[in-house]
Amino acid sequence: MLIEIEKKGQTHIFEAAPEEKLLFAGLRAGISLPYECSTGTCGSCRARLKEGNLEIGWPDAPGHKNLKAEKNEFLMCQATAKTSCKLGVPSKIEPFRDDDLTPLHHQASISNLSMLSSDIMRFEVNLDSLISFHAGQFFVLKAPGIDGYRAYSMVNYEVSTNTLEFIIKQKQYGSFTDWISSSDRVTNEIEIFGPLGKATFHPDENHDLVMIAGGSGIAGLMSIMEHGCKVNYFDSHKASLYFGIRTWDDMIFVERLNSMVKRFPNNLSVQMVASQESSDSRPPESIGKLSHGYGWVHEVALNSLTLGQENTMVYIAGPQPLVDATIRPLITEIQLASGMIRYDSFS
Amino acid sequence: MSWKDVCAADEVAENSLKPFNVDGISFLVANVGDGFRAYPPVCPHMEEYLEDSGLCAKGVLTCDRHLWQWDMKTGEPKGPAEKPLLMYPVKEEEGRVMVNLEKELEYDFDDEDD
Repeated sequence: MLIEIEKKGQTHIFEAAPEEKLLFAGLRAGISLPYECSTGTCGSCRARLKEGNLEIGWPDAPGHKNLKAEKNEFLMCQATAKTSCKLGVPSKIEPFRDDDLTPLHHQASISNLSMLSSDIMRFEVNLDSLISFHAGQFFVLKAPGIDGYRAYSMVNYEVSTNTLEFIIKQKQYGSFTDWISSSDRVTNEIEIFGPLGKATFHPDENHDLVMIAGGSGIAGLMSIMEHGCKVNYFDSHKASLYFGIRTWDDMIFVERLNSMVKRFPNNLSVQMVASQESSDSRPPESIGKLSHGYGWVHEVALNSLTLGQENTMVYIAGPQPLVDATIRPLITEIQLASGMIRYDSFS
Repeated sequence: MSWKDVCAADEVAENSLKPFNVDGISFLVANVGDGFRAYPPVCPHMEEYLEDSGLCAKGVLTCDRHLWQWDMKTGEPKGPAEKPLLMYPVKEEEGRVMVNLEKELEYDFDDEDD
């Protein structure tokens, strides 16, 4: 089916396969359709159907809440075309940045599952071919027999790789988690699409970094740390990672983070911030060279930021309440330019 | 003319927004220091209610959803914002803020002139 979008006098046309989400069809054709979560939650990929027929997909998607049904609005990340269609979208459509990596569909398989803590599982996704992505990006994963895609940020970083490393919080999303946790899976094959996401790290931007993670949000920030280490970025740029956990038992990636901090002791710091530990509790010795703090991670991180830090890029990754609670003071108190804040909204 | 008496000038604190509904039209009144402005109640991007998502700092309004920003005095977009804020005519008379609501302003999804 041919999908046509007219915007500012330009016509963008792409082919959508049967059953293919329109957002993915457009993105893989190199058309920068608007999106954030790409999984039905945020509503950023809303569009209007002007001609043709489509299937709107997941009817209870949270992202439907601001759509105008009377104006034929729908979510491109959920809808599939039944015929060729003409669409309207509310945002600019621009060519991808030169180094942007066009997202594509891949068949892949999962392997090397292990528990990192009582509720965080690590797994790898293996592809047949090498792919590239920016540190901080995510893929969407679809398990056989389960409706819909789930978004997970990569933990690792390589210039090109056929292995993607992910973490997943158990019971966080239900069906996909149940599937991956099940010992009687009949297949390890999954469908994936990506890379996606704009909360990315680019060494040539030359910023100092402040990274604020809550729980499994640490994944994408680990990728940024890995990339920074590989290119010796922290020889000449300061970076602080604040990792919010509930208790010391939730600490993960402690060894990897320690080896990074030891390699760049002058410019790189990592602090574990526990929200449910009392201030007289001490973290286990395994915390090594990482520092520790108590309370809410964004409050600890914001205390370290001062007015006028114009060259500091702040990355936020974690539950939406953490993202919201961090953005407000960054804008109103720290008065950071909005272009210096990066996050991907998943709700 | 449709000038409506909306509120007392001291009802909206400097560098803040306050929502109003007059004759079925919802809008926001902003105190920009040396005067007032009135905008439609939603962000021109995703139609989030700026009453909840709007942050005012140093004369700049930011929607905390996707960090679109505008100059509160002119409505002109800043940073990643792609569309300006629409503005109702506003005047101040004898300590009252008057807004001209002759025509409800709404953001056009397919606005080709933005």
